[in-house]
Amino acid sequence: MLRDITLGQYYPVDSPIHRLDPRTKIVLTIVYIVAVFFGKGLLGYLPTLLFLLLIIKLSGVPFTMMLKSLRPLRILLIFTFVLNLFFISSGEVLFRWRFIQITKDGLSHALRFSLRLIFLVLGTSLMTLTTPPVALTDGLESLCSPLKKIGFPAHEMAMMMTIALRFIPTLIEEADKIMKAQSARGADFSSGSVTSRARAMIPLLVPLFISAFRRAGDLAFAMEARCYRGGEGRTRLHILKFRKGDAVAFVITGLLIPVTIFAGRLL
Amino acid sequence: MALELQNVSHTYQPNTPFSAVALDNISLSIEDRDLLALIGHTGSGKSTLAQHLNGLMKPTSGRVLFNGKDINEDASRLRELRFQVGLVFQYPEYQLFEETVEKDIAFGPRNMGLSDEEIKSRVLGAMDLVGLNPEEIGQKSPFELSGGQMRRVALAGVLAMRPKVLVLDEPTAGLDPRARSFLLSDIKRLHREGTTVVMISHSMDDVAALATRIAVMDHGSLAMTGTPAEIFAQPQRLIQMGLNVPQVSLLAGRLIAAGLPVKPCFRMEEMADQLAELLKGGDGDVA
Repeated sequence: MLRDITLGQYYPVDSPIHRLDPRTKIVLTIVYIVAVFFGKGLLGYLPTLLFLLLIIKLSGVPFTMMLKSLRPLRILLIFTFVLNLFFISSGEVLFRWRFIQITKDGLSHALRFSLRLIFLVLGTSLMTLTTPPVALTDGLESLCSPLKKIGFPAHEMAMMMTIALRFIPTLIEEADKIMKAQSARGADFSSGSVTSRARAMIPLLVPLFISAFRRAGDLAFAMEARCYRGGEGRTRLHILKFRKGDAVAFVITGLLIPVTIFAGRLL
Repeated sequence: MALELQNVSHTYQPNTPFSAVALDNISLSIEDRDLLALIGHTGSGKSTLAQHLNGLMKPTSGRVLFNGKDINEDASRLRELRFQVGLVFQYPEYQLFEETVEKDIAFGPRNMGLSDEEIKSRVLGAMDLVGLNPEEIGQKSPFELSGGQMRRVALAGVLAMRPKVLVLDEPTAGLDPRARSFLLSDIKRLHREGTTVVMISHSMDDVAALATRIAVMDHGSLAMTGTPAEIFAQPQRLIQMGLNVPQVSLLAGRLIAAGLPVKPCFRMEEMADQLAELLKGGDGDVA
């Protein structure tokens, strides 16, 4: 019932993108986002589009899977498109019917903003699709560790993220199991008024909270039993290492910003 | 017959890289008043099968019949079916949620839309069935109870619906010996009083003591079905599938190998009778 939720939606195949260091992917995702915002005019998006298609192809993630990541955004996308299309009144009028009018500026704004959103979401989900959540938090920890000097708890933050990510599937499974158990006693989660549906959640939420607290307690004990006492002096099983592929990725993605700016000027 | 599975297959997350076949073409009939034990190694598909029996999971292909009707034909009647085929999950005590034990047990009957008096009488009846004293713990919070008592409250919560078929997923897992033997005698009594029972278990001794029929699952398919005598007569096959035979069968095997005049058996009482006979009737050599 709850299995449709994709969070930390890692897609497990082997590809040049999967093999990149997580730090590379995090930094380059930020570079990519900046490049998207530098895009001017429709032509300015061409390099981004080509770049995106290239890495999707390289990553081995099926395109349908990529499109799924856009689904939660569909309402926002429609709003962005429609609002820009109808409410920008400057520029040449292309179409008019009673009080509705579409202008050239409106159309180009609508297209650009929607495209920008689509590019942002596709690019960032490509990062989560090709990087296991734990590698991602390792990368974040490593990138944030210089901030430790000014008292930023990089290790603790990464540990909390790792634990949270680790337990999302567990809790989903648990919720699924409890829902089934209560359904077996005739609980009805999917029909009735809003209030009766909210009340129907109690038999699900109470056991779920209790088990989450129990798990948290167990986990704390298990960590202490293995002498966990924070990040100080802790060594790692998987040591992050930059390879040749990372250098290539940096060069290609690094070129994206100047190319985008240049393409935008051509118009 | 009460329940029948016809060529039931189930695949988890089909058409994804995570796709996994959990049930592979299972045909099995559960007769009225059977006490069917479902055994198999971890991950053999027992729990998945159990959830097909009351429509919590739908077969990818095949049909599940209850009293001759396909249960998934009409989704609106599934809820009604679940009152007749009661399913008790593994570790059911983790699903308790109400403020008091009585209220929690009343959850099922209340969902059936029964009158308050009927609910009350069913709650008391169910508590009595599992040996809980309503006066002592009826008004307590279920979270104050011991693990064994919580398990019985959860079992009572399903029994209060008075199901015709009771499906139990590893009912004795994680219980101490006393709580375990209480629970097993509860199950035995329910069966004797006319409930059809399907019980998943890892304990061959429990299975030997209770089951009238056994179905053995192996990697998602049904490997063997038969009476306990038939199944436990093939220890080699069971061991190959990562299972075992009851302690009593092992003992009988050893005694036979040692040349004693003992017949193969799997029930404790049977073995005791044979040994008593042997000790009494023998000329003293054996003792």
